[in-house]
Order: sequence, then C-alpha cells, then structure tokens
Amino acid sequence: MGTIAKIHEMLTTKQCSCTELTKSYLDEIEKSNGELNAYVNVTGDEALKTAEKVDKKIASGEEIGLLEGVPMTLKDNLSTKGIETTCCSKILTGYKPIYNATVWDILQSQNAVMLGKTNMDEFAMGSSCETSYFGGATNPFNTKHVSGGSSGGVASAVGANIAAYGLGSDTGGSIRQPASFCGIVGLKPTYGSVSRYGLVAYASSLDQIGPITKSVEDASIVFDAISKYDEKDSTSKEYNGDTYSSLNNDIKGMKIGIAREYLDGVRDDVKEAVLNAAEVYKSLGAEIVYFDLPALKFALPVYYIIACAEASSNLGRYDGIRYGYKTEHYNGTHDMICRTRSEGFGEEVKRRILLGTYVLSAGYYDAYYKKAQNLRGTIVKAFNDAFTHCDVILAPTVPMTAFEMGRAVSDPIETYLTDICTVPVNIAGLPGVSVPCGFNAKGMPIGMQLIGKSFGEAEILNAAYKYQQAAGENFKDTKWGVKL
Amino acid sequence: MVTREDVENIALLSKLFVPEEELDSLTQSMQEIIDFADEINKAPASDEAFDNINNLSNVFREDEVVESFSSEEILKNAPEQAENHFLVRNRE
Repeated sequence: MGTIAKIHEMLTTKQCSCTELTKSYLDEIEKSNGELNAYVNVTGDEALKTAEKVDKKIASGEEIGLLEGVPMTLKDNLSTKGIETTCCSKILTGYKPIYNATVWDILQSQNAVMLGKTNMDEFAMGSSCETSYFGGATNPFNTKHVSGGSSGGVASAVGANIAAYGLGSDTGGSIRQPASFCGIVGLKPTYGSVSRYGLVAYASSLDQIGPITKSVEDASIVFDAISKYDEKDSTSKEYNGDTYSSLNNDIKGMKIGIAREYLDGVRDDVKEAVLNAAEVYKSLGAEIVYFDLPALKFALPVYYIIACAEASSNLGRYDGIRYGYKTEHYNGTHDMICRTRSEGFGEEVKRRILLGTYVLSAGYYDAYYKKAQNLRGTIVKAFNDAFTHCDVILAPTVPMTAFEMGRAVSDPIETYLTDICTVPVNIAGLPGVSVPCGFNAKGMPIGMQLIGKSFGEAEILNAAYKYQQAAGENFKDTKWGVKL
Repeated sequence: MVTREDVENIALLSKLFVPEEELDSLTQSMQEIIDFADEINKAPASDEAFDNINNLSNVFREDEVVESFSSEEILKNAPEQAENHFLVRNRE
C-alpha cells in the first residue's frame, strides 16, 4: 500500500535507494497529473536533493527516522520558503514565502522528501476543490468525480499514491471530507495541538493542520511528528502528541457513541456502512451507545457565519501592496485596492468576504455573529455532555460519496450541506479522524468519522487502528501511482 | 431582506467592485445564504458564553528585541518597491 512503515523498511533494507524511490514518484506524477490535477507545483529538483542526502546517510550506515526519505506533499496554503505558495488563488500567484510553516520546518528537518505543492479550493473555501484557480483535482477512484475539498489535491495524490502522505488544513472538514471521498485517512487534530504558523489564514478560530495518509498508523506517525509546542502560534498548547504507543490498545469496553442527528439526511449507502462499522466495534468488545445531540442542527449556519466573518477580516490583507497580484491600471489607492481584489479573488472567495462583512456590519452583528458565537458555546457544551456518556463518537464523515465534477459550482447552499457532519468538530475545537469504511454500488469510497475529546487524538486513533485491523479490506489501492 | 443597496454598501466596505450587471444575481444569492444563516435565529435563546476553545489563555513574553526578517526579505514579494519601502503610487 505504500505506507510510511513499508517505505522505511524498503529504504533501510536497501531494496531501493531514496533517489530511485523519489524518481518513481516523480515519474508517476508526470504520467497521471494531467488527469488527476493533484499537483499545482512539482518540486522535483528539491525532492531529489533531499533524496540524495538520505541516500548518503544510509550509505554511511547512519540510522534514519521513520519519516526520513518518505516522499510526501503539502497543501498549497502551507508556507514553503522560496517555493511558490498560492492558496490556488490568482491573488497570490508568484508569492514565494520568506519563511517555512512550522510543520514544514519539522518535517524538513527530518528529511521528508517534498514532491510538490498540491491543489485546493481557493483559500480553502469549498468542498470540491473546484474553486481552485487551477481547476479542481479529480478523484483517483473515478476521475469524473471530485476529489473533495478543500484539501482535494493532497487527498487525490495520496489516494493515487503519487505521494505517500501529505499535510492539509481543516477549517470545516477540509482534511476529513476529501480523505473520505478518496478512500484514505484524514486527521483533523485538536485546536492547539499542531502549530499553524505559516498556514495562510482562512478562519483562525477553526483552522487546523493535519495529516492525510493511507493508513491509520501513518496518520499517527505524522501527527506525533508535527504535534509540538510552538511559541510562534499563540494558540499552540504545551502538548506533545503521543498516539503511536497506544495504537494497538485493546478497545474492549470502550464506549462508542452514535448521535442520532449525525445520521439524519445521510444517504442510505453511507448510513449502512457506518452502522456496519458499529457492528465491527461490537465484535471487538466495544459498547455502542445511542444519544441525542440536538445542538448539531445549528452547526452548519453557525459555521458559515463564523468562518465567513473571520475570512472577511483575514483576507483584508490582500491589497496589492505587500505581496501577490496587483492590478495594472487604476486611479487612486482605493481604486487600486478594489481592482486588485476584484480581479484577484474568485467568485466563492468574494461571496464569503461579502457574507462575512454583512454579518459583522452594524445592525446585523447581534442577529448573526453574536448569536452564532452564543450557539458555538451551546455546541461546545453539548459535546462536553456527550463525552460523559461515551469515549468517542462515531459518525459519517460526509452524508454522501464523491459527486460528479461541476455539480458543486451550480448551487452554493447545496455544497455547504456536504459539510454538515464535519463542521461541528471545528466549532468545538475537537479532534476527528476520517477512516475508509466501505464502498458504494459504484465503487466510490465511503468514510466514517471518529470524534474525540479535546486532545483525545490517542483514543480516536486507537479506535481507528483497531477498526483497520479488523476491516482492512476497506483500505484499497487505486490503479494509479507507484506500486510498492 | 438583503437589498441591492446593502450589497453595494458591503462591497464598498469589503473593497470589492461588483459590476452593475452582477448586482441583481449577487443580491439574490446573498439573500439565499442569509435565509440559510437565519436558521440560527430559530434556536432557543442562549446566553452560553463563548470566548475561546480548549481553555486557551493569552500568551505573554518579555518585550525583548529578537532576530527577525530584514527589510530586504520583507520587500521581496512586493509588486513595487523604492528606497527600502513598499511603493504605493496614486495612479498607473
């Protein structure tokens, strides 16, 4: 399956050199990226340089770390020093950060081989990757279907094995939803457990960086590596992720909760797959507990109000003066800024800035933003109460499987509804992992979500790992990419 | 009710130009999203305070000068610069 452990073993037992391995990934990208559109920037030279470094280390008999020499990718909203970071927006074309995101600093210091930057919805605003200035990434299970979003490029690349793993960001489901659509694993960590320094901001009280991987074990390895305190992110907690040591713990007696509201409006095939997973858990000795979480009903509008409000403020920085795109002809500074922004932002980004400005403007602030913040408190409390009945919550990741390209563009509200099962976790700052749990009649992957308490990554990954051990047939390779 | 004037006003606040021919459709689309957002006003009144997630607290440090970027680096991505400053022209 091309997992991290497998690649590590191949490198340490000298079945192939890191350079050979990297070349085979780059070859496969060359062959398939025309159809998958997963990568927006391939950084082959840098990748081969790192690979050479790793080969030298191996040749000299030095021990290498688990992530060392493993070919991977970063979503294009993670800052990479000297390498274009565009957020797949026209307004950031040509922008080369002068510093690295902390997560990339960490991985680079461990000689991770970055193959390139991957596609995403513009500024991470979307659920299908199609708002990307470069066009959407497609689904490796069927390229007529979307990869999901916003981290669609990472999910497409990892699902197609043209990257062993990748890092994405999740504001309302942007790691878990594409992972679910592409039949792989996506972990949205607890707010504060991974530094967001160098992540281009969308909605700062919701954004979180996390791994997109082929297996639960890989998600655990990558999460443990990047979950470090960072003084450059004031929301970073003194918490060093350690999920790997407890991955294989017995889950006998673990209480797995199912909130009935999570199953409302979910397609039958998805519901069935999730309930089958509950049966697997029962057979592993876990206890299934049903409960109600009525506050979930308001999660989606609360999410869109808060996310857009924060986005309208965060995106104020794009003015054509300090970085990125600038309009050519203008008359006065105000005109220059308005033209730059109007020409540089795509339709969905503009829509969210306008909505955010509306809900924050005098006269509407109390009815929308303030009310949404109150309800956010209600949702946080509801989750806290839920975790007095159960240890983890099991839910669908998305109410459906990957839809066809082009559908999301026509109806914004229908697209927003795809996020209904993922946004509550961001609102409450909790960790959530999406794990493949079956396929529908058309062979498209279905994902389930395990939601944990604050800083409960170890518990959800333990539950996810046990599931993968028991139902490994749901983790499938596609026809694409490097065969290992 | 979102009006054309609302959209024009918000666009001005957001420093975005909305072409005249797109105003009506944008007003309608904004109205639909606001109707959807209005769902929250059906929620029972709540005075649940929300101020932060996961008990985060303010982070302070001594006000000491630390190494940072040079102005040369900071200016690297500027569309226009002059004499070690960002250049903003009045017209082009």
